[in-house]
Amino acid sequence: MKRENQMTFGNRREARFEREPARRVFAAELREARHQFKEGTEEKSPTYVLLPTGQRCNRAFVVGSMTEKMRQGEQNIFYRARVVDPTGTTFVTAGNYQPEAMQQIARVEPPAFVAVVGKPNVFEAPDGGGVYISLRAESVTVVDRETRDLWVLDAAKATLDRIDAYGTTEDSKKAAEEYRIDPALFRKTVADALAQMHL
Amino acid sequence: MDLSIVAERISQKILSKGKNVDQKEIEAKLRLLVDEFGVQPAEAERTVINELGREYQVQGLAGAVETDRHAIAELVPDEWVTIEGKVVGLSAPNSPSIAQTGIIADASGAIRFVVWAKAGAPCLEQGRWYRVESAVVDAFRNAPNLKIHSGTTVTAIETDKPLLPSVVNVAELKPGVASVHVKMVQEWEARSERILQTGLVGDPTGTTKFTIWKEEGKEPLTSDTVYDIYYATVDEYNGRLSLVLNSGTVVPDEEAELDVGAGGQVYGGAIVHVGQGSGLVKRCPVEGCNRVLSRQNYCPIHEIQPEFRYDLRIKAVLDDGVTTKNILMQRETTEAAAGLTLDEAVELAENSPLGMDEVFLRVQSAVMGRYLDCRGRDMDTTVLVTGAERHRFDPAALAALIDRAGGEA
Ligand SMILES: [Zn+2]
Repeated sequence: MKRENQMTFGNRREARFEREPARRVFAAELREARHQFKEGTEEKSPTYVLLPTGQRCNRAFVVGSMTEKMRQGEQNIFYRARVVDPTGTTFVTAGNYQPEAMQQIARVEPPAFVAVVGKPNVFEAPDGGGVYISLRAESVTVVDRETRDLWVLDAAKATLDRIDAYGTTEDSKKAAEEYRIDPALFRKTVADALAQMHL
Repeated sequence: MDLSIVAERISQKILSKGKNVDQKEIEAKLRLLVDEFGVQPAEAERTVINELGREYQVQGLAGAVETDRHAIAELVPDEWVTIEGKVVGLSAPNSPSIAQTGIIADASGAIRFVVWAKAGAPCLEQGRWYRVESAVVDAFRNAPNLKIHSGTTVTAIETDKPLLPSVVNVAELKPGVASVHVKMVQEWEARSERILQTGLVGDPTGTTKFTIWKEEGKEPLTSDTVYDIYYATVDEYNGRLSLVLNSGTVVPDEEAELDVGAGGQVYGGAIVHVGQGSGLVKRCPVEGCNRVLSRQNYCPIHEIQPEFRYDLRIKAVLDDGVTTKNILMQRETTEAAAGLTLDEAVELAENSPLGMDEVFLRVQSAVMGRYLDCRGRDMDTTVLVTGAERHRFDPAALAALIDRAGGEA
């Protein structure tokens, strides 16, 4: 433990790589995200999706009801799940490169509340059927209803914070160019989501 | 006192002013004063500098050697310093190359010191004041430490000024030496034969671990009693501070009342990652080691240790959507957060084909994605969590958000 200690506290400069925070984003906003970009030129540079409310997102945290899961592929098994929040559905995937998340999805019996940490991924449907976004899961955990309720409040607050900062940050100026969506629209989304909690 | 080092120092000083004086010549002058005339080395140094300054017409030398006196509380590693302080503690040195170890204090604070045998310094006496010139501060286990070496001048000074220890809050403790006013709040089972007592003491700003090693004349603390503890050493171990009372003076204050606060800061967020090495771990039983063993019970220092000790912990990432914090929960906090005791975890591991992985999965599924309010201390890259509570749904928070969302739609 002492040695671990030195690794953690000794080489502070080296040890401190900034982990990307997991953004709280409602399905209704995530599904509108299209613009994907890389920061830096190296292969390992992080990839971001620009949220329409004007914040880059390399990782997202979503809590909702997993209503359905699909196992696909023979050799290369691949899971696809629908996670529903008060504003819509987020698609969550896990393949061979996310074996832990895949096993976790395999164990979930829908419907169930799940907490998902994942990387947003924009892709084009092979048949030219449009552009989609999904979360490539890092982890999927069954949680309780209270955690879901807390997440709705958390996502509402984060979305309102982004709307309030709209126009003042570089990312939001970029979002204004890329999307041409009035962020006031998402204020309505938040209000509707919170109204459902009232019940 | 090694005069050749003093001579070198003087020659460097003169060189920095652009004049070159033979170091042997300087040393001869010093020897004459010290050996033949019984002059104190520090005084001899001053005399020789003044003399050379005049001889080579160099200004500002005398001032240069009179290193300003430093406040002990402000000493930082890698500095040459001059202090005046009172020896408030002496301990047995653990190596023949060390003449003395102890604690020296002034009104600002206190520091551990080491007198190297080669230093040729006078034997320091407890309770006396000394002027220590040109000592070096280094870091020993993250705590500043005053090294008295052959280039250091130690002079006893006569003073009857009273020394009041500067008492600090528990929340402000850092590795080194400290005086505190605390209540004994918890006694823990000692994990070593050599420990007389270990547990928690605290004041309104927080709590800290304390240890008393078995030693003649040492008494354990009594629960719920308030103490003035002067000049205890503060060690950092496992990223956690521990007050070692052996070096200090412990005075019970039977009359006193003291509220003890939880201390630290509260970090809120969701657990978005549970790291490898969470759950059940095996620790090296060699005293003072405590390292986590590999699956094969291998300690990087002490090799195979079949008589390991089990422990439970969580290494995770707490994320509030804007920033992330690495957190470390020790056994007690882990048991509460995961709803699993150490004994249950051991049983689970022993009865599952997955072994210790079963405990990892259990712990992971109990905390992943959950909103926690973690109380703890930020140790630069990791928050040592001393208490974690599930964040609860608050209808008032919902009402406030509804207001905010509707505000300017
Ligand atoms: Zn060991």
